[in-house]
Amino acid sequence: MEAKHKYAFYLGCIAPNRYPGSEAAAIKTSRKLGIELVPLKGASCCPAPGAFGSIDLNVWYAMAARNIVLAEQMKTDIALLCNGCYKSIWEVNHKLKHNDELRDGVNEVLKTIDMEYKGSINVYHLAELLYDKNIVGVDKVRDSVTNPLKGARIAVHYGCHLIKPRKDREFGATEILDTEAPTWMEELVGALGATPVEYRQKMQCCGAGGGVRGYDIVHALDIANEKLINLQEVGVDALTDICPFCQLQFDRGQIEIEEKFGVKYNLPVLHYCELLGLAQGMSPQDLALDLHAISCEPFLQKVL
Amino acid sequence: MARIKGYPEALEAKLRDRYVYGEDTNGKFTETVEKISMSIPHMCYQCGTCTASCPSAPRSSYRIRKFVRRVALGLETEALTDPDLWLCTTCYSCTDRCPRDIAPTDVIMAMRNLAFKRDIIPVNFLKTVQAIYTTGHGVPNNDVNRAARVKLGMDADPPTTHTYKEFIPGIQKILDYYKLKANADRIVKEREG
Repeated sequence: MEAKHKYAFYLGCIAPNRYPGSEAAAIKTSRKLGIELVPLKGASCCPAPGAFGSIDLNVWYAMAARNIVLAEQMKTDIALLCNGCYKSIWEVNHKLKHNDELRDGVNEVLKTIDMEYKGSINVYHLAELLYDKNIVGVDKVRDSVTNPLKGARIAVHYGCHLIKPRKDREFGATEILDTEAPTWMEELVGALGATPVEYRQKMQCCGAGGGVRGYDIVHALDIANEKLINLQEVGVDALTDICPFCQLQFDRGQIEIEEKFGVKYNLPVLHYCELLGLAQGMSPQDLALDLHAISCEPFLQKVL
Repeated sequence: MARIKGYPEALEAKLRDRYVYGEDTNGKFTETVEKISMSIPHMCYQCGTCTASCPSAPRSSYRIRKFVRRVALGLETEALTDPDLWLCTTCYSCTDRCPRDIAPTDVIMAMRNLAFKRDIIPVNFLKTVQAIYTTGHGVPNNDVNRAARVKLGMDADPPTTHTYKEFIPGIQKILDYYKLKANADRIVKEREG
């Protein structure tokens, strides 16, 4: 299929440097859905909104703006696959577009590296593009499936920074603006042939953000552990996310939770792009699922 | 027709002034936090919806409502030296639910910015700065991952600053503009030797 939509693919850190399968899957699966993702050369960390925002918001604005300008120079909108990156790249873009004082301040810094923020592009999360029927939509996602994930019970972790704070956000599909009990990701999971599963406090944070994972790991893991208890209660084969940092917290976090709290869940955690890849016929090897800390085997046996 | 009550001038001026003054308070603090956060913590009526929405509250002494009150009262030192300031995961649940349209999360971020000016900051935040200064990434690539990328048919390094290292001096210039790397190095050295 010829690509109807082209985006500069902003990678961030954890996807390319810890879960490269999700990067590979994003590029491959998008192509089948009419989206071409081209490299955003020279992009850096978004930078991490918790760490940089806490230290000095002005640095956060300027560093994120540099990444946005790279896409402006390509005259291409940005697509990305991480909620944390979305917070930095989308929100700084939005703030700079609407606040002249802030934008002048940022441009003063960017001038020292011969760059200028113009506010000429938009930023999107891949999940929102997949759901938006003007771009892809649930029906087209369903039509692209060659290996339905039949019989698999999959729960969704939405994460925080794509949809919250709701007051600031703007989405083509208004369903995404529901931050209390959304179901649009469940629709996307259902489109793959799997059974989406609801659970207690599904909108709760993974606990990793705001620098807390680095500052007080036991505190951060305790928040993730609460979600894992709630997931265990309803019985799921896998948890899916749209944020590599949440994924890291739930995947590697389960190993740390076992060490620190002595409880074991063995719950496979997959980025939605990885799930979509499996449903479109990519193999576990194509997705480097062996890099996951928690083995995806039991889940794979069910769906392959 | 509504009529403006004629209070004495001194009282009227006092009523117009929304900042609180006392021996251990600093009205300027409220003002500065409001400017950095682009939010309005002085409007808080202490309903506690924020604390009730907070995933950190049930497992610690962190109370976001208390921090917002401290801002409104100008209790600068009490707020900035409380270690609980660093337990906000920035999930924005409080911001989503605040009936007074305050963004408590952004209020916390503003206070963290002010704490950093006093060198109050957990080291893990500074280590992210150091990693980005050298590589452009907060979480840089490693050998296991490089091998996996090659197996996937991708380049060992992503097409970011990892491949295009010529972009790194620009990043360093931005960080140096704010003296962030120098401060990070200094504070890390002071804490860890």
